[in-house]
Amino acid sequence: MEYNPNIVCFSCKFGWGYVGDKQSGNGSPENWVPVVCSGKVESTHILEAFKAGADGVLILACQEGHCHYQDGNFQTGKKVYLLQKVLETFGIEHERVRMEMARNPEGDKIVQLVKDMKQDISKLGPVRRF
Amino acid sequence: MAEKPKVAITWLGACGGCDEAIVDLNEALLQVADKVNIVLWPVALDFKYSHIEAMKDREITLSMITGAVRNSEHEEVAHLLRKKSELVLAFGACATLGGISGLANFISKDDIFNWVYRDAPTVVNPQGNIPQTAIEVNGKQLTLPEMYDHVYSLGQVIDVDYYLPGCPPPSDLIATAVNAVLSGDLPPKGATIGPRRALCDTCPRNLRKPARIEIKEIRRIHEVEAEPDSCFLEQGIICMGPATRGGCGETCISINTPCRGCFGPIPGVEDGGARYLSALTSMLRAETDDDARRVIDSIDDPAGYFYRFSQPTSILGTKRPPQATEG
Amino acid sequence: MWTTMAKGSAAVEAAVKQFLPPCQVQCPINEDIQRTNVLISMLPDDPEMAANGIIQIGDYLYNRNPFFTVCGYVCGLCELECNYQSKGGAIKRRLLKRFIADSYTYHLDKKDEFDLIKHKENVAVVGGGPGGLMAAYDLSKRGYRVTIFEASDRLGGALWLIPRYRLPEKVLTSALDNLTRLTGVDVRFNSPVGNGRLTLDKLRNEGYSAVFMAKGTPTPRTLTFGGEDVKGQDLSGVMYGHTFLYEVSHGNIRPNYFRGKKVVVIGGGNVAFDAARTARRLGGETTIVCLECEDKKSKDGIPADFEEIRGAWEEGIRIIYSRGVSTIHGEGERVRKIECPKCTSVFDATGFNPQFDVSDRIPLDAEVLIVTVGQGPDRMALHQDNLLDERGRLAIDPLTLQSLNREWVFIGGDLRRIGFMVDAMRDGLVAAESIERYLRGLDIKEGRKRDYEPQDIPLRRHYMTEPEVLWIPPEKRMHFQLFERGFSLAEAIEEAKRCLTCGPCVSCKACVSIGIQDALSAVEVNPDRCSGCGICTSICYYGAAQSRQDEDKRRSVTDMFKCKSCGMCVVACPSGARKLVGDPMHARIEDVYANLSATIGG
Repeated sequence: MEYNPNIVCFSCKFGWGYVGDKQSGNGSPENWVPVVCSGKVESTHILEAFKAGADGVLILACQEGHCHYQDGNFQTGKKVYLLQKVLETFGIEHERVRMEMARNPEGDKIVQLVKDMKQDISKLGPVRRF
Repeated sequence: MAEKPKVAITWLGACGGCDEAIVDLNEALLQVADKVNIVLWPVALDFKYSHIEAMKDREITLSMITGAVRNSEHEEVAHLLRKKSELVLAFGACATLGGISGLANFISKDDIFNWVYRDAPTVVNPQGNIPQTAIEVNGKQLTLPEMYDHVYSLGQVIDVDYYLPGCPPPSDLIATAVNAVLSGDLPPKGATIGPRRALCDTCPRNLRKPARIEIKEIRRIHEVEAEPDSCFLEQGIICMGPATRGGCGETCISINTPCRGCFGPIPGVEDGGARYLSALTSMLRAETDDDARRVIDSIDDPAGYFYRFSQPTSILGTKRPPQATEG
Repeated sequence: MWTTMAKGSAAVEAAVKQFLPPCQVQCPINEDIQRTNVLISMLPDDPEMAANGIIQIGDYLYNRNPFFTVCGYVCGLCELECNYQSKGGAIKRRLLKRFIADSYTYHLDKKDEFDLIKHKENVAVVGGGPGGLMAAYDLSKRGYRVTIFEASDRLGGALWLIPRYRLPEKVLTSALDNLTRLTGVDVRFNSPVGNGRLTLDKLRNEGYSAVFMAKGTPTPRTLTFGGEDVKGQDLSGVMYGHTFLYEVSHGNIRPNYFRGKKVVVIGGGNVAFDAARTARRLGGETTIVCLECEDKKSKDGIPADFEEIRGAWEEGIRIIYSRGVSTIHGEGERVRKIECPKCTSVFDATGFNPQFDVSDRIPLDAEVLIVTVGQGPDRMALHQDNLLDERGRLAIDPLTLQSLNREWVFIGGDLRRIGFMVDAMRDGLVAAESIERYLRGLDIKEGRKRDYEPQDIPLRRHYMTEPEVLWIPPEKRMHFQLFERGFSLAEAIEEAKRCLTCGPCVSCKACVSIGIQDALSAVEVNPDRCSGCGICTSICYYGAAQSRQDEDKRRSVTDMFKCKSCGMCVVACPSGARKLVGDPMHARIEDVYANLSATIGG
């Protein structure tokens, strides 16, 4: 059976579609959690995503210097970087957590980015659980 | 004369330090020993499992079990004592959280065996023998417990009534726990015996912290001369205190060693390591992204720091054991 | 494209604890600067899509400030207090408003009239300048029937002094005409109130229950030296700056009117520079002479804005500091030259008290002398209207602007105290509130005094420098078109994003108004879990998470007026002692994960 990875996507409402949960017309990503500031995404949430069965976590944050709450995106960047190392020890490849820092006010690139990540993750195969 | 309550103490995947801690009660131990009837204590007394098997269900008032569950014997004994006891106390970090042995969950059983019995530099094992669970010798069956490929905490294997944290639990906490049982003044089931706040609450260095802690470099404890009065975090030394339950009396802090987290997360937090990770990175101050990464790269074993005692009870480390939980 | 709503949970709350961002504290009418900055930053990149949003932002601003389009060209007081000044440059709020104004000015002509029910009393407004118009606007919206009595043949008052190269005529006329059209205010031109046909008492008898006097200051001050008028101000070629600028605004001065002439402008304020730069554009070789010195930080520093000084200098205008005028020499009927003694001090403990060293004087050729040393009210009329006290000062309650001699008369604008356009507007709003309270029989003073406290700058890693504002090269500026290039959509969004949103959430709510969140969530600290580790204090950019020491224990608390509910402290707390109440994120995550597990399990 072809491996169809599940990606959980967190996206910041300020930089990636301020219409929030309303769709931009080209389908909504599955497992989508729009948040007010990527800085609110906790390490616990990412770990629980994997526990719930996700194969990857995508975090869409605002571009450098443009966080509405000053440096929330920077905080998450540091968190993700350290968490990736911890995940490697748990046997989860660091590529499975990805963070993009950019601006997409219409939120119309989200679906494509999730698809791209799915494609990249599928090369890794399913998550190896100890 | 009313019968003295029966108490069982045993060790599963343990180092014996918890038993030492019980002995360290000194005179208090004698008083306790007077009030109870110890029916099992492998390190000190000569009772056998068969003695326990012969008892009625729930005949033992209190079983104090130390150590993690790593092999089938551990699991069997855990189930046995659960069956025969009114109350089970998970005693120490290994029973409560999984303990240091839990770090073995980061590698597979095969990798462990290959290293220990084949690849380590000092191994001499020309025939490539590895442990078996059963073998026949002179017509007799010899068995060994099966080593699982995962380390479990006691609570993941049986139903536990109370948890006593610490590596090992300090004497005063042990005395509190035992006296509570003996007097019948019991906390709600499932409670951990100890304070509810993190270590910083009682740490003498806490009040001297600056208004904003900014970590620019991370150092290991042996790389610097740590100031005995300032917070370790302020000095760039990883101290698990903020995410660790208090109650140990700051024994490590008082000898100028940072907390390693043996008391586990505070109540309500499932994964202390994950919370600590967020807390640590938020204190990191770096001008550029590259600088931030450089400092993070200098942490040599983050998973080891954050999950030293708690891997098996962490979000990703938790696993269901082969046998169903009985209680 | 979003739709912004101003009502309900998205309405800005009255500053409860009097905290506001410093820009809004500085703005005399406390405009919702932060909110509209955020809305501009959230405009889409595509200009066509953004058009709708620009109108929405304009509508929101217009609702409170019908002159905001003009402000976008001539004001910018808020920038003087912007927290970003010390970190890279104040936010260019004026240009952001100008960006909105550039589209909204045209939209104004098409805007629907307000649906107003004017069931309350008749109120007269004397003076059709910004102060009077603002009062008329506000009172009309409150349901009063307002009539403006304007002495001249056009509305606008002192706004017409502003040169066209700073304020395009279309922007001004659009603001003026549409204000009266949208509110249905009645305007009587050529109707001065004071000496002659119309008096205050007459208005009273005609049924006006209250009067707001905002006549302005039409009388230019004469040039004095040593307490006496300098002789020769009646020579040909000597004029007053205000008169000159009014004539220019009427289109009565032909281009190159001053070609080949040496023009000297006396004065150091913005109006003097307006006059000088206008004269320069009319071909004059222009010099400014002022009492004040060059160092703006000293007590005698030149009052004109730095931008004006820079502009004048670029345009080839010579500025002579620290000089007065003692003598005007004529040749026949025409002015020929002036003598300028050194001014050693302008202000002292008694106030304006210029001191001179008459032994140090320089002559200056002057074929045109424009005197721009200030203006004053028509004191005679005020006296006749019985509005002065025994010392000859305006008898007025400064808090409510109510006359102390005639309780149905309210006074504001330059007539009360010389100020900027927006100061007059503020007086108009204050008077409108006072008139309403007076006519409705309410306590006129209660709750009027507001002292606002400015919020501090949030911390962040990197502060960004202000964008460069482009001016046409000086040699190409010798006309009356705008020389300052405004923002494009992309530039406006970028600059609006630079705003740090220093002020409290309750005075903004931009995010709620466009649907980013349904309501503001609140941070709650669980005191049973908080260990006082101080990590939340370390990370909070707004100084909201604070450590409080109670004997030998530290506990963390949250200052609700500084908190932005950004959640950094919630994430950083290693004890999980903080949470955001009312945040739907956790419920959403649970749903998504439950769904995910079910899909995989099933």
